[in-house]
Amino acid sequence: MLASLAASFPARPLPRIGVGVLIAVALGLLIALPLGLDNYYMRLATTVLMYCVLAWSWNFIGGFVGYPSFGIAAFFGFGAYAGAILLSAKIIPFWLSPILAAAGCFAVAVVIGMPILRLRGHYFAVASLGLGEVFRELAMSWTALTGGGMGINLPPMRPAFGTEAQTFYYAMLILALVTLGTTIVVARSRLGVAFRCIRQNEEAANMIGIDATRSKIIAFAFSAALPGAAGAIYASWVGYIDPSDVFDILNSVKAPVMVLLGGTGTIFGPAIGALIYLVFEEFVTHHLLQFHAGMLGIIIVALVLFMPHGLLETLRRRKQGQA
Amino acid sequence: MAEPSDGLRPRFLLWLSVRFMTLLLQNLVNGLLLGGLYVCIAIGFSLIWGVLNIINLLHGSIIVLGSYIAYYAFTMFGISPFLAPLFVIPMMFAFGYGLQLAVLNRVVDKPVLITLTLTFGLDLILNNFMLAAFTANFRRVVFKDPFETLDLYGVIIPVDRVVAMALALVLTLAFYLLLNSSRIGRAIVAVRNDRDAAVLMGVNVKQIYAVTFGVGAAFAGAAGCLLSVVFPISPMSSGLYLGKAFVICVLGGLGSIGGALIGGLALGVIESMGVMLAGPEHSVLTGFLVLLAVLAIKPTGLAGKRGYE
Amino acid sequence: MTKMTRLLLAATLGAAWVALQQPALAQIKIGAPLPLTGALAPEGLKQREGYDLWAEEVNKAGGIKVGNARQKVEFVYYDYQSGTPRAVQLTEKLISEDKVNFIFAPFGSGATKATSNVSEKYKIPNISSTGSSEQVYDQGFKYLFGTLNSNAVVSKALIAYLKGAAPTVKKVAIYSRNDLFPLALATSLDEAAKANGYTIVYFEKYPLNAADHSAALSDLRARGADWIYVTGYTDDLIRIRKQMVDLKVTAPVVTMLAGPAYPDFVDGLGDVANGVTSVTWWHPELRFKSSDIFANTENYVKLFQAKYNKLPDYAQASSSAAGIVLQMAIEKAGSIDPEKVRDVLASTEFDTFYGPIKFGPTGQNVTADNPIFQIQDKKIVITAPEGVKRGTLQLLK
Repeated sequence: MLASLAASFPARPLPRIGVGVLIAVALGLLIALPLGLDNYYMRLATTVLMYCVLAWSWNFIGGFVGYPSFGIAAFFGFGAYAGAILLSAKIIPFWLSPILAAAGCFAVAVVIGMPILRLRGHYFAVASLGLGEVFRELAMSWTALTGGGMGINLPPMRPAFGTEAQTFYYAMLILALVTLGTTIVVARSRLGVAFRCIRQNEEAANMIGIDATRSKIIAFAFSAALPGAAGAIYASWVGYIDPSDVFDILNSVKAPVMVLLGGTGTIFGPAIGALIYLVFEEFVTHHLLQFHAGMLGIIIVALVLFMPHGLLETLRRRKQGQA
Repeated sequence: MAEPSDGLRPRFLLWLSVRFMTLLLQNLVNGLLLGGLYVCIAIGFSLIWGVLNIINLLHGSIIVLGSYIAYYAFTMFGISPFLAPLFVIPMMFAFGYGLQLAVLNRVVDKPVLITLTLTFGLDLILNNFMLAAFTANFRRVVFKDPFETLDLYGVIIPVDRVVAMALALVLTLAFYLLLNSSRIGRAIVAVRNDRDAAVLMGVNVKQIYAVTFGVGAAFAGAAGCLLSVVFPISPMSSGLYLGKAFVICVLGGLGSIGGALIGGLALGVIESMGVMLAGPEHSVLTGFLVLLAVLAIKPTGLAGKRGYE
Repeated sequence: MTKMTRLLLAATLGAAWVALQQPALAQIKIGAPLPLTGALAPEGLKQREGYDLWAEEVNKAGGIKVGNARQKVEFVYYDYQSGTPRAVQLTEKLISEDKVNFIFAPFGSGATKATSNVSEKYKIPNISSTGSSEQVYDQGFKYLFGTLNSNAVVSKALIAYLKGAAPTVKKVAIYSRNDLFPLALATSLDEAAKANGYTIVYFEKYPLNAADHSAALSDLRARGADWIYVTGYTDDLIRIRKQMVDLKVTAPVVTMLAGPAYPDFVDGLGDVANGVTSVTWWHPELRFKSSDIFANTENYVKLFQAKYNKLPDYAQASSSAAGIVLQMAIEKAGSIDPEKVRDVLASTEFDTFYGPIKFGPTGQNVTADNPIFQIQDKKIVITAPEGVKRGTLQLLK
């Protein structure tokens, strides 16, 4: 099923005008949303956008290239710390923090990508997982810079216009749109072709003149930079970060689960997966006090066993079956 | 704030002191004792990874479940945790066998991402179940007559760890014999080496998968029994054990008992020495850095022959 | 309709509206995000026990007196699964969705600090019963209060006591969990010890998920300290104590914070727990007379035992005390207006079953007199202060 993950990105073109109208309406709704929501729902909406960013960014390395990465937490945390340290030193304004965090994560991912992208399969999965652990330990023990286990308190935000909640919502919205835009552009570019070739057969890709190493590193860097930016926004938004929170291994697992949930091989699948995941997280955790993690487990198991192509695809197939 | 305060002797002076050799020896002993337990933690994990090509994220929770069974057998019936493997092994084997047959076999040929996600989900269920049943409170096996501690020329050796490590090595040996001299063991090895050939030879692969997962789970449960004597028990420890199993397998290399043995002992010693040289706060980091270095130089691990795809 | 009748009608309608609104006002809602699952679950359950006992007693008495009426107390609990970001989210949900009047902070210093941003933004008083690190309170916040006194006070009390009780002690080894609260305790002890002429021969931090301490303890043993001071949570301390005994690491004084005050410490260790000294914030053998609904410490302990069939420790008592100070502040303010209650909290000295509570300029309780104890024969024996002393310190070795 991974084989179908990104394959259908450019496929099934809809009528152009219809798409344009649809996008305009969706965008209008997203921009107008804060007017009708209280702070709590604003927080949920911002979280959905953040999950979308994580899911779409995971898709570069995990979907297009087909490398099972669990490194989202590492770069989310790295970005959060980069943003928090720069902001609490009062060196930069808020809007610059996600940009610098993304740049930092991109650079780090390129350097780290060179050795670990030589690994494949489980070895790569474990190495990317271990990366988050190493970063967490670094944040933990480099007390002078990160405050260690004491965490970092960020200076409160004083937005120029709108409320604080709206600022973070729009920041996350912009980032989500950037991530989506990058996804679409990459999917249709030569780079996207290279990604897909590597997924199908890396040796063959090398033989037809694709620089596999370089392409893999670029994909890895994309799926590092964007979560890094999300981490920086998150840090300002929550106002306090500590290593165990921002390097939470669950963030690494959530991203692929959301992609699986929404369906692989579609552009909006990850976004729908993110929405379903959040709704689930919110409702189940409030109503099943003692067994919510277990319930999440049951859903994941059911998903993998019975809907391995995601919700959208399963529904579509059922519909076709009936027709 | 951790700057050496006025009285804090710099580390290098410690190295020059007379006590240095004793301390070095002590840390070597500590490391090997810890490493013995690590071997036991990693073997079942390595087996499942090597044969089924599944990273079993349930592994840590199965270890903890084994610890709980040993703990309750001890507090309710007074059975020593050192004897608990006798009944924990069949229990966990049945559990693992059933789980593989009913659930995991359905996705065993799917990509890494799918199997990982599935075992992650299963782990959430099992761990949450234990949390609900046993709570997060730490429990500990408290013997009426505690084990002695040996003092060999200043090197302190806790006897309960020695017994636990010895048992761990006995179990490892038993496992080695099982793989190499029993019919089923040879079938497991055959499937690991060449699945398609094994099928042609008439081996029922799904059956062997289930047996393998059962043996892996049984080993995890046995490790849990031994650990219950040394470390306090809580569902929260499962992630810790799982992480160690990961590191050991990658460090030592997959698919062989030798790999787990070398990886486990090496990690124990590396962590111990890391504490002495770099301070305890960096010990986990030291372990990971060594691991990354090994991966960068020899991606198949210290004893590994080839990477598993 | 004359102007008069119209006015009367309006007045009657107005009165009816107010009367109809009364039942809605009759509950005082307190939001408490708790770690009911995950690593901190045992702590979260303790907090809840403390809150529930107080709420039950208050409601039995008809509620909190607000002006001339009595309003019952209702807790809105959510489980934040021991994850700080969820605690922050839920605090926001409690305030903006559930419209709680007050917040009781989540467990521990880190999560309290994180949620204090939210309560400050909404100007809702936030009372912490388990955060004792100064770093939580030094943000210049007006709405954050803490019932535990600070780590610095605890460390100074301990040093002052040991100077008299163990005058031979000179060299201190400190081994701390690398986490906000334990590390803050260790640093404050380091400072207090140096200021009092002690020598620090070892100061190391261990990572959060350390199971094995044998290497660090071997190193520590080689330093020849005569006071070993270890910080961490109960499970860390149980592990470390066990391994200290296994490796024969000892000193005339072995102090551990902050777990030995919990019964779980002795339950988990048995005889091995003996000899460990510790400081606590409160103990059931203290004797305070108070003007709150519990009347005195003895009665509080009695009620607690009747409800939960066990003795309370400082975590539960401090949680009940958070309720008590809130109740006393509301009654004194005669209103549940957050700002008025906040002003009373900041300016009043409260007499409670827990002891006197006075919030200093940062919002943290500044009264001092922490009980110091040693575990002797698997029991907590208070050795200081004088008034509640039940035994004397026994040096080890």
